Amino acid sequence: MFARSAAALAVALSFGISPADAHEGHDHGAAPPAASVAAAPAGARAEVVGTAFELVAVAEGAGLTLYLDAFATNEPLAGADIVVETPSGPVKATEDGDRYRLDAPFLAEPGRFDLIATVAVGSDLEILPLTLVTVAAATPARAGGASASAWLASWWPPLPGWALWSLVLMVGVGAGLVLGVALGRRGRRTAALLLALPLALAWSERADAHAGHDHADGKTAEVPAAGERAQRLADGTLYVPKPVQRIFGLRTLLTAEATFHRSMELPGRIIPDPNASGVVQASVGGRLSAPPGGFPRLGAAVAKGDVLAYVAPPIQQIDVSDMRQRQGELDQQISIVETRLARYARLVSSGAVARQMYEETQLELQGLKDRRTALDASRRQPEALVAPVDGIVADASPVAGQMAQPNAVIFHIVDPSRLWVEALSFTAITPVSASATTAGGRSLALAFRGSGFADRSQAIPVHFAIEGDTNGLRAGQFVTVQAATGQRRHGVAVPRSAIVRTANGQDFVFEHTAPERFVPRPVRIEALDGGRVLIVSGAGAGQRIVTQGADLLDHVR
Amino acid sequence: MTRRRIILGAAALATAAIGTLGSTVLPARAHDAKGPNGGQLTDAGKYHVELVGKGTRLEVFVSDADDKPLPATGFKALAILVIDGKPQRIPLQPEGADRLAGPLSAPLASPAKGVLQLTAPDGTVAQAKFN
Repeated sequence: MFARSAAALAVALSFGISPADAHEGHDHGAAPPAASVAAAPAGARAEVVGTAFELVAVAEGAGLTLYLDAFATNEPLAGADIVVETPSGPVKATEDGDRYRLDAPFLAEPGRFDLIATVAVGSDLEILPLTLVTVAAATPARAGGASASAWLASWWPPLPGWALWSLVLMVGVGAGLVLGVALGRRGRRTAALLLALPLALAWSERADAHAGHDHADGKTAEVPAAGERAQRLADGTLYVPKPVQRIFGLRTLLTAEATFHRSMELPGRIIPDPNASGVVQASVGGRLSAPPGGFPRLGAAVAKGDVLAYVAPPIQQIDVSDMRQRQGELDQQISIVETRLARYARLVSSGAVARQMYEETQLELQGLKDRRTALDASRRQPEALVAPVDGIVADASPVAGQMAQPNAVIFHIVDPSRLWVEALSFTAITPVSASATTAGGRSLALAFRGSGFADRSQAIPVHFAIEGDTNGLRAGQFVTVQAATGQRRHGVAVPRSAIVRTANGQDFVFEHTAPERFVPRPVRIEALDGGRVLIVSGAGAGQRIVTQGADLLDHVR
Repeated sequence: MTRRRIILGAAALATAAIGTLGSTVLPARAHDAKGPNGGQLTDAGKYHVELVGKGTRLEVFVSDADDKPLPATGFKALAILVIDGKPQRIPLQPEGADRLAGPLSAPLASPAKGVLQLTAPDGTVAQAKFN
C-alpha cells in the first residue's frame, strides 16, 4: 500500500516541481551558464507610480530595463530623459524601442538597491524612488553561489532542469522504498523522511525563484514565479508584466463622473448639402455637344459658371422655311434702305432732304442688319449648360450627339466637403447633440439642422450637417445616427470596448490598480451612444479603466 | 499509517517553503506635514525627515518614529529635487549636531518636489518622496 502511494506521489511531484525550475532556467538576454543563473536572480522588479508616469524597473543580468508609461492612459512614453541615481552614481538610460535600458553592474551582487529615477518627458519632470531587491542564493548549504541543482548540473550538464529534479526525486523515492523494505515495518518512518528531504529541497529552490519578485504592495496576492507571463492570481486580480502589456496594447482611461444626455439611434443616409450641390438640366431638348475641353469626367472639380456641355436645339423643317422667308424679306429691305440712304446722302448736302430723314434711314438700316445677324446666330447658337455651384461632378452621362430631353439631368454637382445626413425618426426630436457611425465604424460629428413635419413612411425626416472631415464619404451612404436627447443620466462613461461580458452574462471592466496589476470589477451598464456606455454602478470616478485590450485580459488564466 | 506519513512529508515540505518565503514592503507613503523647523516632514523608512530650504542652502533634520530629533552624525543623504524646473542632485553632509546640509542652486520651491535618500549610520538606506 505504501509503495503504491509513494509511486503516485513521485509521479505527481516530478510534474509538480518542474515549474520552479522552468522559471529559474528562464533566461533574460544571452543564455548564461547554469551556475550563474542560480547566482544572479533574474527578474527582480520595482515599480513606482508618480503623478503623470508609471515606472517599472526589471533587473536583467547586469542591466536594468525600465518601462515608462503615462499614468492615465498606460501609453508607452518615448523620448523620455531618464537618469537613475545608482550606488555608483547617476547613469543615463538609453532608449531601446519602447523601453529604456541601463547598465547596472552593481546588480551582480544581490541585495537591496535604493534608486532614484529622474524622468523628464517634454515639460513634465518627476523624481521617483525605486527600491529593487535582488535575492541571493543565501542558504549556507549553497554558499559560493552554487545551488544543489547547479551542483548536479555540473555532473549532468545536458539534462534540462525538470529532468534533473525528477531524477533527484526518483532517487529519493527509490532509496525510501529500498530502505523501507530493508528495515521492515519500523523503518518506514525513516523512509518517509527520506522521501520528504528532496521535496523540501526542491521547494526551497522554488521559493527562492519566487522571492525574486518584489511587488511593493503587501495587500495584493503574491505572484507565483512565472517570468514575463501574464497570469490570474489566487485573489482574482491579474498580474500582467509590462512587456506583455505592450504586446496586448493595453490603454486605460481615467474615469470622471459626469452627466450625460440619453441618446437614441436613428437610421440615416448621407445626402449632399442642398446649398452646396446642384443639377445641370437642359431647358430645351436638343443635341448634346462637348465644350472645347471635352465633357468633364466624373469626380472632376468644376467652378460655378463653368460650361459643362452645349445643347443645340434641332430646327424643324417648317421653321427652316419660315426662317428662309424672313431672311429673304430682311435682305430685300436692307437693299432698299441702303439704296435710299445713298440717295439721301447726296441730297442732304443741297438741303433737298431734311437731315432728320437721313438719320432715321441710317438707324433703320442698322436695325435691319442687327435683326439679320440675330437670325443667323439663332440658327447656329446652342444653349450652354453651366455649373450652378462649385463642386465635383458626382454623376454624369453625356455622350456627344445624344439627344437630350427637356429637363433631363445631365450633370449632378456636389461639394464633397459639405454633406448632410438625413435620418428618420419615429418621434419628434430636438437633439442637443448628435453623432453618426458609418458601417466601417467611423464616427462623424453632426450638427442638427432641422426636422420635417410631414410623415414619410410613418417617420419624420431629420437633417444634420456633418462637421469636420468628410473625406471618404459618399452621398447615399447609410449611417447610424446617435442623437442625444434632453433626458439626463449621471455616471461614468467608458468606451464600449472596455466592457467584457463573461460566460455567465455578467459585465466586467478591468481596473488598472498598480503598474502591473489589473482587477476585474463587475459593473452595471446602460447604453449611452454609439461608442460609449454608461457605468451606473460598480466603478466610480478616478479609476483607471482598461479601454483597449480588455478582451485580451479576459483570456488571461 | 500511510496517511500519517504523507502528512509528515507535507509538513516537512511546508516548513521548507515557509522558511524561504519572504516579502518586502516599501516604506509607507509619506504623511506630508509641517515639521518643528518649519519644513516639510515625511517618512523615510523608520525615520522621519524634515526638509528645510534656507535661501540657497538645504537643511535636513532627522528624527525617529516618535519625532524625537536624532544627531546627524553618521548619517549621509542625497537629495534630488526639482529646482527651477530642473532636477538638481544635492549631496548632504552632517553639519553641526542636528542637521545635514548641502548647497542649492536656487531657493527651494514650496512645496518641494523630489526624493531624499538617507543612509543611516548602520548602512541601511531609506527613501522619502516629497511632492
